[in-house]
Amino acid sequence: MLVLLAIVMSAMSGALAYFMPAAQAALEATGQVIHVTPSPSQLFTPTPSTAPSAAPVAGAFTVLLLGSDDDSKFLGDHVLTQSMILVRVVPSTKEVTMLSIPRDLYVHLSTGGYGKIDGAYSYGGPGAAVATVEQSFGVHVDDYIWIGLLGLVKLIDAIGGIDVVTSNPVFDDYYPADILSSWPYDYERVAVLAGPQHLDGLRAMQYVRSRHGDLQSDLGRSQRQQQVLIAIRQKAKTLSPEDVPAISTALGGEVKTSIGLPKIAQLLPVAASFDNPDQIRQLILATPYTHGCGCPETYITPNWNLILPLVHQYFP
Amino acid sequence: MISRFLLAVMLAFLMVISGISTYVFLGTRQSKAVVPPQKPTAASPRAQALTLPGTLYLTQSGAVYSLSAGRFHQLTPEAGWTQPSLYPDGSLLAVRQTPLYSDVYVLNRFGTPLRPLTNNAAPPRNNDTGANHWSFYPRVTADGATLWMTYDGLKCSGCYDVSLAVWSMPFGGTIRQAKAWTDGGYYTGGDVQPIPLAGGGVIYTKYDYASNIDYRLPSKLVGMLWYTNRANSAGRRLTDPGDDCRSPSLSPDGTQIAMVCTYEKQVSYLTIASWNGATLGPLRTIVSDQLVAQPTWAPDGSGIAYLAPAVGAGQFQLWWLPKGAYTAPLPSPSPTPTPGGPHNGPLPTPSPPPPPPPVKRIQVTTNNGFDATSPMAWRL
Repeated sequence: MLVLLAIVMSAMSGALAYFMPAAQAALEATGQVIHVTPSPSQLFTPTPSTAPSAAPVAGAFTVLLLGSDDDSKFLGDHVLTQSMILVRVVPSTKEVTMLSIPRDLYVHLSTGGYGKIDGAYSYGGPGAAVATVEQSFGVHVDDYIWIGLLGLVKLIDAIGGIDVVTSNPVFDDYYPADILSSWPYDYERVAVLAGPQHLDGLRAMQYVRSRHGDLQSDLGRSQRQQQVLIAIRQKAKTLSPEDVPAISTALGGEVKTSIGLPKIAQLLPVAASFDNPDQIRQLILATPYTHGCGCPETYITPNWNLILPLVHQYFP
Repeated sequence: MISRFLLAVMLAFLMVISGISTYVFLGTRQSKAVVPPQKPTAASPRAQALTLPGTLYLTQSGAVYSLSAGRFHQLTPEAGWTQPSLYPDGSLLAVRQTPLYSDVYVLNRFGTPLRPLTNNAAPPRNNDTGANHWSFYPRVTADGATLWMTYDGLKCSGCYDVSLAVWSMPFGGTIRQAKAWTDGGYYTGGDVQPIPLAGGGVIYTKYDYASNIDYRLPSKLVGMLWYTNRANSAGRRLTDPGDDCRSPSLSPDGTQIAMVCTYEKQVSYLTIASWNGATLGPLRTIVSDQLVAQPTWAPDGSGIAYLAPAVGAGQFQLWWLPKGAYTAPLPSPSPTPTPGGPHNGPLPTPSPPPPPPPVKRIQVTTNNGFDATSPMAWRL
């Protein structure tokens, strides 16, 4: 009996050793505390929406996805968030809503003053980004997930690439050659052809990051980012738990989230139950929700009278 | 004492073996989704590949491969080669893509590059990345006299826009002799995948905002098939913006076009429509449960080959759809009463003939990773 117990325990030790990298990475990346940066002034108050809000749904939660270029141009954690996507999940109805926030949106930052919303993270970390989104859009954000550029590349490579129907040819003559490059201010050319295809990490990043060749600039890019997020979700369904250690090792240091491990364990079955991409509602703040200011700083001006009712409808 | 010591050693040995075995076993349980694809020459295609007529050219990881008589042959090294197409004398055209530019080359039938047809690298000492050019989707007319391609020649210096337009140039000529047939949309999108027609016109895929076609539609980028028979004329739209169609392939007899349509979703249906040289018939969806790319007609009209992942998601494999899968069976004639004949009176209810067995698609390869953005070429 003791012999059997010893063998079982040694087998469990083998399993523990296998999953140890994943557990270590998960402990380091998850459960980050959000230090919400309060606004130093109350000068800016979003106009309360007059649209009827949907009743709160039990179990629903909202996550802010943040994507940053974290190359050597930036010092430490003072990075811009090139991508900000609010995601609301309603497990009971299996509804997912994604709202892309334009990076150049001109808002009142939670750290003080006005500026592009992508700068909030640079001034005050994820807490400032969360607080800025909460106060600007009048939503409650439960958690955030941050991923660096290289993290996205590594994630997609670690899951074996993704299948995407790229909506159009994405060509860019002045794409920043700032990762895997010794000179982060260099340029390179990008040619992502259109149609269904299998993208590796680098190609997928080019697809979601390029904006120079897009007439809709950041808005066009937001649509592509949502496509890739859905593709990652689809691909994740084909993976097995035994893939997790390799993925977490690849991601080391490139992902962090305020979601704790116990909550992630609760969410995994929920995520697995979403099997229809058509249930994912994709929202982009194009004209008339926003419009360019026509100034050299390339700000995008929000039309809060339209944005807030929309946000309150889908993010009650 | 000795026996106890031996037992302890054996137990320790068993524990080590058990721990290592568990670790290794879990490693073998990793999903196949992250396994890199095999080279086509290393992985034998299924026996069904023997049914494919002629020689099919396709690409993987920057190399051109041929598939004939059920065997793959690597024609070029893995050096950015893509988008093979046929030249009438039996040689091939292919694109060689580098990080900064791409050029069209003539290759002999064994894949040896003979000469470039374009010269798209920036002039020496010009460090502006925008001074380079792209050429893609080369096609040659049946008489071998004209090269058609997608080319980004319509851009202004220092601008961000890369306008892909349909160009033609004399085969063996220079880019100065080339002529833009379309305007490329002057920014996002572009005109790609030209298919020269025997009558002199060209079918191509235009990517544009749906709102540019109809102001009531959302400003979403979609693909559409267009036809033009005159340079500097966008011509005529063949498919609706909402169908979001691309990748046209003309049947050998010129009467049908295969394409993929996505209906503005992350799907890709194999679709065919009749073609009379000027107008397209109604779209008919043939395959709707796969992510279909690059449908290509067999040169003898016996079916359509396409690329698609094997299960749900993953690397693109080669599939074969026999003709019987997309040609509707002729209705069986009902018996007609003949005066004075045995059926002169009420007809007995004919028992319906048994339906023909459905013709299924065939997965030709299982563990390759073909380039789904590269059209395939096929000759008998």
